[in-house]
Amino acid sequence: MEYVFHFGDIWEARDELLDGTLLTLRLSAVSMVLSLIVAVIGAFARTSGPAWLRGIVAAYVELIRNTPFLVQLFMIFFGLPTLGVRLDANTGALIAMVLNGSAYTIEIVRAGIESIGHGQTEAALALGLSRLRIFRLIILPQALRVVVPPLGSQFILLMLNSSICSVISADELTAATQDIQARTFRPFEAFIVAAGIYLCLSLAFSGLFAAIERFAFGAPAEGRR
Amino acid sequence: MRQLNLGDIEFLLLAARWTILLSLYAAIGGGIVGLAIALMRTSTKATLRWIAIVYIRIFQGTPLLLQLFLVFFGGDMIGVPLGPWVSAVLGFSLNAGAFLGEIWRGAIQAVPRGQIEAAKALGLHFVPRMLRVVLPQALRVAIPPTVGFVVNLIKSTSLAAIIGFVEVTRAGQMLNNATFRPFVIFGVVSAIYFVLCYPLTVASRRLERRLALATKR
Amino acid sequence: MKRLFQILAAAVLLAGLSVLRPAEAQTIDEILSRGTINIGVLVDLPPYGILNAQQEPDGYDIEVAKLLGGYLGVKVNLVPLTSPNRIPFLLTNKVDLIVATFGITPERAKQVMFSIPYSAIENVVFAGKDKKIAGIQDLKGLRVGVPRGTVQDVILSKTLGSAVKLARFDDDPSTYQALLTGQVDAIAETGLTGDKFYDSHPEGGIERKFTLLQQPNGITMRKDQFNLHQWVNTFVYFTKNNGELNALYEKWFQKPLPNLPVF
Repeated sequence: MEYVFHFGDIWEARDELLDGTLLTLRLSAVSMVLSLIVAVIGAFARTSGPAWLRGIVAAYVELIRNTPFLVQLFMIFFGLPTLGVRLDANTGALIAMVLNGSAYTIEIVRAGIESIGHGQTEAALALGLSRLRIFRLIILPQALRVVVPPLGSQFILLMLNSSICSVISADELTAATQDIQARTFRPFEAFIVAAGIYLCLSLAFSGLFAAIERFAFGAPAEGRR
Repeated sequence: MRQLNLGDIEFLLLAARWTILLSLYAAIGGGIVGLAIALMRTSTKATLRWIAIVYIRIFQGTPLLLQLFLVFFGGDMIGVPLGPWVSAVLGFSLNAGAFLGEIWRGAIQAVPRGQIEAAKALGLHFVPRMLRVVLPQALRVAIPPTVGFVVNLIKSTSLAAIIGFVEVTRAGQMLNNATFRPFVIFGVVSAIYFVLCYPLTVASRRLERRLALATKR
Repeated sequence: MKRLFQILAAAVLLAGLSVLRPAEAQTIDEILSRGTINIGVLVDLPPYGILNAQQEPDGYDIEVAKLLGGYLGVKVNLVPLTSPNRIPFLLTNKVDLIVATFGITPERAKQVMFSIPYSAIENVVFAGKDKKIAGIQDLKGLRVGVPRGTVQDVILSKTLGSAVKLARFDDDPSTYQALLTGQVDAIAETGLTGDKFYDSHPEGGIERKFTLLQQPNGITMRKDQFNLHQWVNTFVYFTKNNGELNALYEKWFQKPLPNLPVF
């Protein structure tokens, strides 16, 4: 059959697409901030915490990083309620994204911390600073500078992953796209438009991260092309 | 509604072979695409570099799920009917190619420029220069992140479930629809992925550490 | 900025290229000479479509598909589809037609062609016994689950607008399960399927509240398959008249085929 593209139905559903885009942005932004916070705490625990805590964080990181996000979503949305924990779709999606994103960001921040020479910690200890103060004042600022580029890429992946949350009825952009295609039977038009929106979001986010890097840390961190 | 039985767990384990096969084919396909992209990206010709950059931007900047939908059905749209296997493998390969291309570009660029200049001075053309001088050295740097990426690839094959391809996640979904035991079923599904991915994660980390030690020396 | 434009231009070009090469047409003669018909079905909507103990498709829709293949005299290749992918499968010729409880709407008919109805489903609102719901207005302020883009989705969003919080799921099982696990307050779904599901989970305390509408379903084809469409209509007319369709309906639903309007 000759497939004729008709973007009219998609244009009519522009409000739905806009709402979906906004939720995608909100889900992504909130989960980026939360997973950065979890990452800093987790990376501190993973590098300077007691052995049992290091073990727990390591197990969490391995468990999340070696199973698919889709299955984690199913577990949270369909599995947890059978144990009595009910979350509405958007909250479930946010929690899943933070849980998933943190496992990756913890590892990135940890690598950043470990890239700082051990001599600095020893010197600061000799000066009588506490472990927490050393972490906060000396290690973290330097580590963050190194980790901005990999964190940026990871955050963009996190944003793109939010598309999978459509399966648990979170109303983000991919869900809006699926709604439109199921109603109008115009799947290709809907998917092409959505892909274009995601591409713009990715480009905007990577521009934003590059700007953060430039303004917060002056020159681009070492090792970046 | 029927009860969950041991046969169902066997059904899941059997479905895991489709996950493995899909990952394997996608890794091979992605490797071919990735090599082409990496070579184009490091080429001296600006046009080739730009095509590679645009390709990478598009495939790394849009959700895999949408790419799968478009590629899975795209072949028929442009008049090339592809079976579900070929379309699914193609979808994952095109995406994997963008990521592997970037990883391998880094590896190629890690080879000191002097070596390329020397090879050129010796009169080696592009193909022997790449095959004999650049790629063997780049390979060493590339292996740990490549193994790490294969873990991502295996996990991402779960998205084939959404386009209706029956692999271990879709099998779990179908089983859950028939028996409604989500916690047990998706627990088993997670365990299957973990068993597939964890050894590769550990291997990637070991290789990376060995490489770091080797370059430090 | 220049980069951005170059990338966008490339994306537009890519999309444009796909318009140039139309997919192949599919006539009844081609199906006959091929000797096989590819029919898309759902396997997660009992008793319309299920996977039986041998993990093979079965159910009312599947038997209708087999009956159709029998009258056509060709081998039937059943293709299990999911709700999000069934239309792309049809539009890209991966299946020749779909027998999967598709409600007939003018909006959908702009993209596909429906046969005259071969079955009907009751679109029913289900909720917990403690909820007082007697009509559509009682759904105001509740979270109501529906499968995406279905007839009930459109009715509820048109009638209630933002007064109802719709949770749209990819498929029917997710919708039924979301009500059972309490993630939504009510759902609008296929009646007989819901009866079966909630009867086997009495602990959920879920019951039928009211019938939203009677929804006749059509066999679905691409919109240029006039020739096949005419034959499918003839098939539905004939098997409705000779009682075969009714016999299948009785077998799976233990009641006679409802009176089906034609167009």
